[in-house]
Amino acid sequence: MASAIPPPGRSEVLSLFRSLLRTSRKFADYNIREYSKRRTIDAFRQNRDLSDPSSIASAFSDGKSQLEVATRQAIVYSLYAPKVKSVMEIKN
Amino acid sequence: MASALRAAILGRIRVPVAQTLTLNGSKLSLCSTVRSMSSHDDHITKEEVIDRVLDVVKSFPKVDPSKVTPDVHFQKDLGLDSLDTVEIVIALEEEFKLEIPDKEADKIDSCFLAIEYIHNHPMAS
Repeated sequence: MASAIPPPGRSEVLSLFRSLLRTSRKFADYNIREYSKRRTIDAFRQNRDLSDPSSIASAFSDGKSQLEVATRQAIVYSLYAPKVKSVMEIKN
Repeated sequence: MASALRAAILGRIRVPVAQTLTLNGSKLSLCSTVRSMSSHDDHITKEEVIDRVLDVVKSFPKVDPSKVTPDVHFQKDLGLDSLDTVEIVIALEEEFKLEIPDKEADKIDSCFLAIEYIHNHPMAS
């Protein structure tokens, strides 16, 4: 039964990675933006050597659900965007 | 004696006038270059694209800035992997205010292709 879901291909994984990075860019708050970017990169790096098809499939579906969360939260947070920029965003 | 002094003074006065003229001249040419760049087609020049692409690639943490040239390959020459390549392409999108579709983004694997794509993109800024 576990093999019912075929593991995602290389291009699908890269596409998910790209979508997550693009979504993380939409957060209005500097800290959340940087965190979600860092979290995405770290998670893909951590799982880059997965070889078992079922663990690849479960990591991929986990990533997809995280993408849904990020997309939704980017919209919600945009309604409550911080009024002042983070000191880290101010360019000299 | 007085005429020699007068000639010397006049000689001194003429110098700044001549300088102003050349200054105006250079100012005029400056205006014309600015105007030609901001004409109806306000597309960025290839040199600017190259400079900004190289700056983005050089600022990537895993890249050795001294190795970056306009025709460097991300994976073969810089030792990056496919995840790094995606990160660089995303950083380039941000730099040039673009959204590169997945199909195109997958093909960009070197500075040369990135420069070509961005230079030919009508919305690059």
